[in-house]
Amino acid sequence: MVASIPSTGAVAATTWVTSFLQQLPAPSGEMEAVQWRGREALSRQPLPSRRQEDWRFTDLAPLTALAPAFEQTTSPLPSSWPEPAADVLRLRLDAPGDPLTGQSLPAGLSLLSSEEVQQALGHTLATCNCEQHWPVELNQATATRVLALRVSGAVATTLELVSEATGDGVLRPVRVLLLLEEKASLDVLQVQLGAGASLSSLVLEAHLGRESQLRHGLLALGEGPACLLAHLAVEQEPRSRLESVWASHGWALSRFEPRVVQVDGEATTNLKALQLADGQQLVDTHSRVEFRGPEGQLDQLHKAIADDRGRSVFNGAVKVPRAAQRTKAAQLSRNLLLSSQARIDTKPELEIVADDVRCAHGATVSRLQTDELFYLQSRGLSAAVAAGLLKRGFCEEVLRTLPGAAVAWSPLQRLLGEG
Amino acid sequence: MSSSTSVDDLVSQPYKYGFVTDIETDKIDKGLSEDVVRLISSKNHEPQFLLDFRLRAYEQWLRMEEPDWASIGYPAIDYQDIIYYAAPRQQEKKASLDEVDPKLLETFDKLGIPLSEQKRLSNVAVDAVFDSVSIATTYREKLAEHGVIFCSISEAVKDHPELIERYLGTVVPCNDNFFAALNSAVFSDGSFVFIPKGVECPMELSTYFRINSGDTGQFERTLIVAEEGASVSYLEGCTAPMFDTNQLHAAVVELVALDDATIKYSTVQNWYAGDENGVGGIYNFVTKRGQCRGDRSHISWTQVETGSAITWKYPSCVLQGAHSVGEFYSVALTNNCQQADTGTKMVHVGPNTRSTIVSKGISAGRSSNSYRGLVQIGPKAQGARNYSQCDSMLIGDQAGANTYPYIRSQQPEANVEHEASTCRISADQLFYLQSRGIGFEEAVSMMVSGFCRDVFNQLPMEFAAEADKLLALKLEGSVG
Repeated sequence: MVASIPSTGAVAATTWVTSFLQQLPAPSGEMEAVQWRGREALSRQPLPSRRQEDWRFTDLAPLTALAPAFEQTTSPLPSSWPEPAADVLRLRLDAPGDPLTGQSLPAGLSLLSSEEVQQALGHTLATCNCEQHWPVELNQATATRVLALRVSGAVATTLELVSEATGDGVLRPVRVLLLLEEKASLDVLQVQLGAGASLSSLVLEAHLGRESQLRHGLLALGEGPACLLAHLAVEQEPRSRLESVWASHGWALSRFEPRVVQVDGEATTNLKALQLADGQQLVDTHSRVEFRGPEGQLDQLHKAIADDRGRSVFNGAVKVPRAAQRTKAAQLSRNLLLSSQARIDTKPELEIVADDVRCAHGATVSRLQTDELFYLQSRGLSAAVAAGLLKRGFCEEVLRTLPGAAVAWSPLQRLLGEG
Repeated sequence: MSSSTSVDDLVSQPYKYGFVTDIETDKIDKGLSEDVVRLISSKNHEPQFLLDFRLRAYEQWLRMEEPDWASIGYPAIDYQDIIYYAAPRQQEKKASLDEVDPKLLETFDKLGIPLSEQKRLSNVAVDAVFDSVSIATTYREKLAEHGVIFCSISEAVKDHPELIERYLGTVVPCNDNFFAALNSAVFSDGSFVFIPKGVECPMELSTYFRINSGDTGQFERTLIVAEEGASVSYLEGCTAPMFDTNQLHAAVVELVALDDATIKYSTVQNWYAGDENGVGGIYNFVTKRGQCRGDRSHISWTQVETGSAITWKYPSCVLQGAHSVGEFYSVALTNNCQQADTGTKMVHVGPNTRSTIVSKGISAGRSSNSYRGLVQIGPKAQGARNYSQCDSMLIGDQAGANTYPYIRSQQPEANVEHEASTCRISADQLFYLQSRGIGFEEAVSMMVSGFCRDVFNQLPMEFAAEADKLLALKLEGSVG
């Protein structure tokens, strides 16, 4: 056998990662050990290739098109950020200093000690079997800080975590760790903004104790060549409840990977997502929910709109092993394909080895329904207004479930590019 | 569960087709090489173009890797430990069936496929394939009156080389995939059907495949061509004896439908599935594809998969012609240690093409049953429509049911809908039936039958009842 010669694309990807790693500043601070590990891992597995089933539809070209030299500089304080409401605590995660400087944490929220961080960091990633996943390693290799919080009791204040990567060559790793104690509850809204040839990398780990509740929203708004890799790993103990809502638009490349494990079943997971792809954008969601115990519930709705030459990918895995009797899982993927050059790839993936379960999934791909358009037009609306109204309705179903603090960011207007 | 003991006590029906016919066979040595490919070709007295086709395929196969993406697991296959050609020793194919070795006739009789004149199935023409060669084809004269060609592919190569050269490998190219390449290199026999323009085939056509030798691989090749406005319904059946080794079955089926043609292809697959511990059984790695080349053409696949230790099979339709229609109806039943990774591909190329997928998977025992499907809407397929439904039924808590439906769309003026569900035979449904005086096994069998009704309705009538019985038989003793 002749040794296989890597294609030119593979060579370019390897060089990209090598030069990327070379220009990173030496690891330091509380995350030093993690950074070393991440860099070592990246040097071993340069980039996922499209020959891997998980990355089959994800062309990383927009990522490697970015110059591999990044800096973790702060973006100037943007004027476009709305004022946070009174019951919202906004933490800026893109500034070099401690995001908590000058802020006091509301009742129920406290910082984890560095020993606790050491113990807990990466635990949920390992449970979700994704600690060696490429986008996670990229985050580990670069993040210098982690926002690690313990949640005890019901927190009335919404935590708003904002991070912006504006400008060419900006690298923005964000790492968050949340430990929800028994019966705790918290609303978190993450806002990720990106513009210019920048790269944002987001990893959120959350451990939900018994009967705790986490309401999580991610509003990801990009522009131009900006890329985003976002990873959510959640471990749920019995009778806990997770609601996670993602909405994104505008990134040249964005990949979202929510992974949820119900460690002993009996928990409730609600996942909702809305992704918009136009221009030449590629937006990709790979979700995975695993039930390791009985009587778990999942309700997942994934919506996508692909217009222009945009491409939307959805892969939704649901694993129901033998221990997960009486699981109820429903997954629906609804896609609007609005242009003849756009593409939709959707692939639900159900693996079931338990007989007493109710699992259903569905997928649809179509353009806007002609009879609905006709109905609106017959009421005197122009075709364009009618189409806009239907599109808004399609998006609203997901957007209205974002944590309340999202309203200030006017997600619908931003996503649909409306004034 | 209260009923489990009584069910476990029920003796599960043994595989009744597991006998071996003791007949002298002409086999070549084990192993695969270019010489073997040439030898198979020369045994069939093939023209040069076919030998070239085989050699090209063999060369491609050497460079390919065995696919590993399916949800199936099996020990590595030693391709040098397989006999690639085995034929029952008899003289030239007989003009009359009376001259065929009575042992062979008896074998097919035992399988319920009578070939002799007086016992023939009414209105079904049968081509019987034993190991690597076709033994007999019935009703040939009657079919010839209508211009229909129905014969073994080796005869077609001799009698109609121009048709073979024109169509062979045009739907499944010789380098399509690992197993198709292997088949293209070493295929021995199979059926050839040609329905000329405007002819509606006067009877059902059927091929019956029988593997007899223990160390032989079966590599049959089927080619069905329906010219403009023609229509045909074809049924395939298969069995094999029980051996405690695994046998490889890597077939290729190609269907070509020109303008307004209709091909209905039904399979009742009952290869030996191995014993309850997963020892022995057939590896069924099959490539089936139909091409709706003409406008308004129609290809329909119906399959009832109950046998084989492992099934790896995705009957597909390439919908090229405008307004062409592809259909896939499948029941896949796995029990004990069987593994099935099956589904379909509907590739919409032409405008206003339509496809329907109905897949029913039933997993029992420790088996694993996956539906893997692709619906692809190309950029020129305006007005295309697809509807897919795949339901799984789980029996027992050790069986696995996986669903992997891919949808890829590049055409906004197309509608794709997919829905899937998983259920089990619920205790209250069983209780209801039992309270009406219906026995436990019968109740289960009724429910399974109801679950599969959409698919059975698509089978030719003679076989629908058989499929129903087959399923009941396969499930015996598995419910508890």
